[in-house]
Amino acid sequence: MSLRTRLTILVLIIGLVPVLPAHRSEVTAQTVQKQAQKKIRRYSCPMHPEVVYKRAGKCPKCGMSLRLVKEATAQPAATIPDPPPVQPATNDAAFLSKNIPDVQIYDQTGRRLNFYSDLIKGKTVAINFIFTTCTGVCPPLTATFRRVQQDLAKQGLPAQLISISVDPVTDTPARLQEFAAKFKAAPGWTFVTGDKSAIDSILQALGTAVANKTDHTSMILIGNDVTGEWTRAYGLSSPAVLINVISRTAKGE
Amino acid sequence: MLACVGVLVGSAFQLSTAQENLEARLRRGRQIYVSGASASGKAILAYIGEQSLELPASSMPCANCHGLDGRGKPEGGIDPSNITPEFLTKPYASTQAYQRKHEPYTDRGIELAITRGLDPSGNKLLTVMPRYVMTREDLSDLIVYMSRLGKDRDPGITDDKLVIATVLPARGALAEMGSAVRAVLTAYFEEVNNAGGIYNRRVELRFAETADTPAATRKSIESLLSSEQVFAFTCAFIAGAEKEVLPLFSEKQVPLVGPITLFPQTTLPLNRHVFYQLSGVVGQERVLTKFAATKSEIKNTGIAIVSQENENNALLIEAIRTQITKSGLVEPQTISYVPGTFDAAQTVRQLRQTNRAAVFFLGPSQDSLSFMQSAAESSWFPYVFLSEVDAEIFSAPAGFDERIFMAFPTSPADQTADGMKEFRSLAAKHQLPTKHVAAQISAYGAAKVLVEGLKRTGKDLSREKLVQSLEGLFEFRTGLTPAVTFGPNRRIGAIGAYVITVNLKDKQFLPISGWIDID
Repeated sequence: MSLRTRLTILVLIIGLVPVLPAHRSEVTAQTVQKQAQKKIRRYSCPMHPEVVYKRAGKCPKCGMSLRLVKEATAQPAATIPDPPPVQPATNDAAFLSKNIPDVQIYDQTGRRLNFYSDLIKGKTVAINFIFTTCTGVCPPLTATFRRVQQDLAKQGLPAQLISISVDPVTDTPARLQEFAAKFKAAPGWTFVTGDKSAIDSILQALGTAVANKTDHTSMILIGNDVTGEWTRAYGLSSPAVLINVISRTAKGE
Repeated sequence: MLACVGVLVGSAFQLSTAQENLEARLRRGRQIYVSGASASGKAILAYIGEQSLELPASSMPCANCHGLDGRGKPEGGIDPSNITPEFLTKPYASTQAYQRKHEPYTDRGIELAITRGLDPSGNKLLTVMPRYVMTREDLSDLIVYMSRLGKDRDPGITDDKLVIATVLPARGALAEMGSAVRAVLTAYFEEVNNAGGIYNRRVELRFAETADTPAATRKSIESLLSSEQVFAFTCAFIAGAEKEVLPLFSEKQVPLVGPITLFPQTTLPLNRHVFYQLSGVVGQERVLTKFAATKSEIKNTGIAIVSQENENNALLIEAIRTQITKSGLVEPQTISYVPGTFDAAQTVRQLRQTNRAAVFFLGPSQDSLSFMQSAAESSWFPYVFLSEVDAEIFSAPAGFDERIFMAFPTSPADQTADGMKEFRSLAAKHQLPTKHVAAQISAYGAAKVLVEGLKRTGKDLSREKLVQSLEGLFEFRTGLTPAVTFGPNRRIGAIGAYVITVNLKDKQFLPISGWIDID
């Protein structure tokens, strides 16, 4: 056995050592999980899965409401009871709908509205984030939204489209009106502006607040206030994909 | 020999037409790059994404994402490529923001990128990059322009020179005022140049003359713009020609700072390229109304408006009504008359029926004077708010002492000690005219605002960047005029005015209010 061969073996052995304790810890984790399943419900943060509590409350890391962890998924297939259809929805609602502020805002015609009760309550909505002096990503985002609106109408799916200005100080209703007209927005599509504090509180609640308006998200939030289910989609996805997500959300699937 | 000359002339001719052709192509190409519209009027369409959403190219022209300089403006998580020729033609496979490697671009490569969304190595470009459909001629103009991208400067800028122009009356009653403004501008920019210019660029001034009709004034500005390379305008005298002249500045995208007018634009959409220093008479009328509403007598009875029928007064009445609603006054009593038919006694009788505590008089000063005389005969002395005043005002009946009000957009209160010192030393050094000091101060203020905008923009100057940095001005003080604030929705620097009253005993104007803001 040459020195090189011995060294190689040595390296191999050393390399293997850490694997053993790791394997053991995995086993422990599984056991703990199984025990937990038997006993009690667990609440976890949607953003920080390592945060687990016995009761509902707020995540100490980010302040989001904790969600009930669906236990059914971890159980053997045979014993899974049919999940009550409304059950996960109410939890999602606790996570979002409830937090959407009902602040006063203006639409593109200068009408004064309450954000939650007039635009979200009881509806299926798709929300994107724009500003009218934006020249980069907002035109394609808005054009996509326009096509979504046309296709939704063709399929007879009622959904409220909302574009929230991330630059409310500049975006007066008149500016939004002009922007809406440029992209031929039809009724059922509300462009939202208002006092900066009101818009900020909406953006905070939706988790889309940014310090710099050009950093605004290209994501679309899609939600069904009745089932309380909310989801996100990339705003530049093809309209067909977005329609699919919206119609699934609308049907509560 | 003759043939030789013929060849020389011929080739020089060809050269010059080729040069002209190139310039025309660059101009057309730039228009497509910046606005997405073809000079030929033919449609250019953009198709985005897998489903090829169709949009007019004007809603997504190249410059929107790649910027006027071609370097790309990151936004909403999208990082558009640098498309300057130096970057696209790098001899090695370049790695752009999205780790896409490709061979150097050729003209054909750029064509494919624009029309098919592919780079020279056949990779797909980002989804946001539309595929454009345009005529062959438009496409080749655009590609010619793109080969100059980033080196393209707005007219009037060179490395050591910046051309600023103005339009002033040179004949007639206003000639004296025009020459006073010309003198102060020349003196001020000479001082700026003596101090090193703006980023080492000497400012050169060009002057155009106003003409007898608005259309001719517009022609005069147009010919200055086409014969000379002018970067921006300041202090242009546009009073009476607003409707004809102002659209020219937005069409040609030439910034204009501090035009001389009593009617700055207050209706939407705003002209992006025109920046006013002060509120016009519309704003002043609103200030007077707001001031009137602070007096309890007037608040109780509301106001009456007596106006000579004309277009401008219609704007003023609208402004007063807007402020009446805002200030919570009752509906005004209104009386209007055809020019030249003012019947003072009859008007006073009509007004006495409702006995409003204040009369807003919109008409020439002789009409307002005869109104006050008639009112005095029946021993009625309401508060009178005037839109037009001349020196005759001091002959008003004594009972109206300190009951006559007017608004003024500036006041000595705006003049700081330093500001005045600077202006006086400029006046002494350059022997500025002693007349039309108010016009001189206003022109001086406007030029200072322009210079501030230029300084904030920096060495890498363009008209668009100047407009953006002017939009960022907040409470900028010239030392002589009210603080100037602009914004994306604000083109009037100081929105408000001071109210002054007339002391008939000592024959002087007295400031009676501080700055009244109406924003």
